This record gives sequence, C-alpha cells and structure tokens, in this order.
Amino acid sequence: MEAVLATMGDQLGQMLVVLGAALAVGFAGSGSAWGIGLANEAAAGIMTEDPKKFGYALVLLALPGTQGIYGLLVAVLAMQKAGLLGGAAVALSVWQGLGIGCACLPIAISGFYSAIWQGKSSAATILMIAKRPEQIGKAVILPAMCETYAVFGLLVSILMLNGIKL
Amino acid sequence: MSRKEAYGYAAARIRAMEHRLLDAAVFARLLDAEDTASFLKVLSETSYSAEVSSISAEHSFDAMLERVLHDTYEEIASFVPDKELVTLLRLPYDFSNAKVLLKSLFAVKSGGKKRWDLLTSVASYPVDKLIADTESEEYRLLPFGLSSLYPKCISILEQNGDMLEVERILDEQMFKEMLNLAASLDIPEVTRWVRLKIDGENLRTMVRLKRFGFDSVRVRPFLHAGGFVGTEVLAPLVSEPMDTWGKAIDFSDLSAIFDDSESSADFSEVVGAMENKLDDFYYAETAKSKYSQDSPCNIVMYLLGKEQEIKNIRMIYVSKSGSWDNDKVRGLLRYVGN
Repeated sequence: MEAVLATMGDQLGQMLVVLGAALAVGFAGSGSAWGIGLANEAAAGIMTEDPKKFGYALVLLALPGTQGIYGLLVAVLAMQKAGLLGGAAVALSVWQGLGIGCACLPIAISGFYSAIWQGKSSAATILMIAKRPEQIGKAVILPAMCETYAVFGLLVSILMLNGIKL
Repeated sequence: MSRKEAYGYAAARIRAMEHRLLDAAVFARLLDAEDTASFLKVLSETSYSAEVSSISAEHSFDAMLERVLHDTYEEIASFVPDKELVTLLRLPYDFSNAKVLLKSLFAVKSGGKKRWDLLTSVASYPVDKLIADTESEEYRLLPFGLSSLYPKCISILEQNGDMLEVERILDEQMFKEMLNLAASLDIPEVTRWVRLKIDGENLRTMVRLKRFGFDSVRVRPFLHAGGFVGTEVLAPLVSEPMDTWGKAIDFSDLSAIFDDSESSADFSEVVGAMENKLDDFYYAETAKSKYSQDSPCNIVMYLLGKEQEIKNIRMIYVSKSGSWDNDKVRGLLRYVGN
C-alpha cells in the first residue's frame, strides 16, 4: 500500500498536468462545438432559402471555432512543459503539477463560455445578413467582440505556464 | 439543446423568407395601378408571379390568395419544431369552417343553399374530411372539442335558430383550445399573444354589441375568459363612451388602441379602424421578437405578416374593381413591410 501511495505521490504532479490539459481541450472544444452548432442552425435556415449566402455564413460559422484551437494550444504547451510529449522526462512536484494544471483553467473556462455566446452572436448576425448581406463587414465584427475574452484567457494561460519554474 | 434553441433553424429560415413579403414600395405601386389588369401586372413582378399566371377568371383571384396562404402555412409547418404552433394560428379558420357548415345546414333547412364555397382550406383540419364527417354525422371524428360541440350547436339552431349563441359557444371553445395549445407549447411569448388576442376580440365584440344597444349584463356572456383584462372589468365599459375605455384599461397594453378614438365617429368607421389597429397591434406584439435568433414568435410574426399582406392585396384588388378612392384604401391597409 505504501509503495502504491509513493508511486502516486511521484506521479501526481504529472497527472495534474494531464488533468489541466484535458480540461483546456475538453471545455474550450465543447464550447466551440456548441457555438458552431448554434450558428449552423441559423446558416442552414438561410441557405435553405438562398444557397448563395454560404460564403457569408461560412465566415461567421468559423468564428466560434477558434476557442477550441486555443484550448488545444494551451494543452500542448502544458504537456510539453511537463515533458509528456517526448524528450527528457521532467520531474514535477505536486505543487508544480497543480500550478500547470491551474494555468490551463483560464482558457478552459473563458473558451467554453465565450464560444457559446459567440455562437449565439454569430447566429444573430447570420439572420442580419439574411436581410442585409451588404452588412457582412459589420456582421463579422459583432461576434468577434466575444473573441476578445477568449484571447485574454489564452494570454493568461500562456503567461501562467511561462511563470512556473521547474 | 433547450426547447427555445430548437427554433434557431426555423427563425433563420423565416428571416430569409421575409424577402418574399411585399414591401411598402410594392404596395404603393399596387395602389397606383389604374385598374385590375395593371394591378395584376404589378403583382406578377413580385413573389406572386407564379400564382398570378394561374388566374384564369376574375373570380379565382380570391382562390389564388387562399392557396398562397394555405401553402405558406403548410411550408412553415414542415420545418417548425412544434407543429402545434402552426395549428394554433390555423384554429380560427377551423372554427370559421364549423360556423359556415352550421349556417349552411340551417340555411338548407329553411330552403336556402349550402355555402361550401365559403369554407377555407387554410384550416388545419382538411375541408373534405370536415364535410364528410358532418354530412355522415360522424361528429365524434371532429377535432378541437367540436365532436361534442357541433351536435350541441345543431340542437340550439333547431330549437331557436339562435346563430349568435352558436357563434358565442364556438368562439369560447376556440379560445379555450388556443389557450390549451399555447399551454402545451410552454412558450411564454405565445401564451401572452393568445391572451392579448382574447382581450382584443373581447373589445371588438363589445364595440359590435354596443352598436346594437346591449347593456353590460347582456354583453358579459359574449366575453371570453383567459385574457389579461377580466370580463368583470370589460363588461361595465359597454355603457360608457368609447373614448373612456382606454383609460379604464390603461393597465393593459391594449389601451393604446383607444389613444385617438373619437366618441362622435360612426360605428362602422370605429369597427373598421379598430380591426386595423388590432391587427397592427397583434403584429407589433410578435415583432418584438424579431431581434432574437431563436424566438418561436418569429414564426407567429411571419404568418401574421403574410395574413396582413393578403388582406391588403385583396383590399386593393377590390378597390380597383370598384374604383375606390386611393386615400381611403390607404387608410384601410394593415401594416406593410418596409
């Protein structure tokens, strides 16, 4: 039993990194999928009537997808820092592992919520271009506002990862 | 996905379909048309082009408009998440058909003719089936509570020929069904719209009955429960001048329709103006949802808009046949898109 606990103690740091990376990819990716799904419904609705609007809709559909990419980037950086992607193994204390795991949370949380709201915002602007396609420039800017907060999450996650000394 | 989010596709498709609705510029051109031929020429340049080309004689113009409305309801019913929402909006046509059949039945017994030409295909229950069920006296097959109500109406007509009473109980059942359908949909905006419609119809009934000198006691049974304004508040108003009604119900949004009413105006003018204001009010209520990408009221808004468009087209067409004054017709038009 003691041997098992000792092994767990040795590897707990790395397991916390894995957990953080999983949360970053899982939450940010789920948010993106949800947001794109919402925008997709609106896009499918207007394309049933006017298939020529696909080009306009595609730009707006893609916007909520970026949070998933940010989540993936942070997960890769976290695993790289912990030596989980090959190369020399890095010995991590529990506190270091917990720090890296926590560094993944800003993008996980901000990515999840901002992607959903960006999807709703994209769906609303898809309705806007259904009526006024010439307003596509403004239509892209409105949902892009939600992107700001995902970028803040990404930035803070990267800064936190860089701030943890191994 | 929540129930509301399921309307994302439908609301977007509705927004794209709004391109088919005629805008104010087209209505201005229709009004300026010199006669019915030039009216039809202008109409054939719009989304009605295919339907206009199918008109063979003047009397089929109404049939064409009815077909357009029927097709619109069918198309929307094919993609909305809740078919009951479309059924809810078609219910007045179902009950109108029931009234036509009952009147025909009564007319035949007194030596008149059946007026099946007045039946509308816009109703959710197919006209052929309705005729077959009633002709074969298979009333149990009738929907929306008509299975028990229809025989009751026949017995009222046979006993005393009181069509007003028959219309009253049919309207009562219709609003009950509308409220039940709205409750089963569990969409607050739709329930609110139905309740406002009940209030509006109560006010319309009061104006009509006031014209015939009804007092509050006689008016009360004709008012329907379920609206925002209680019948106990509305009924006493019938003895008051109409320009005070707005103040008496100022807690309701409907008070706005009395804002510029004149007590001295002729009753037929008041009724006409009220019909217009109510139609515009119902539309404006649903139009509050037009900025929401997943509100079910977008569907209601489009269908009401289409109904108003068809009423406007019919009115302008009739005015061209009878050479009415354009300004008078313009005043009678419901809300037109912009």
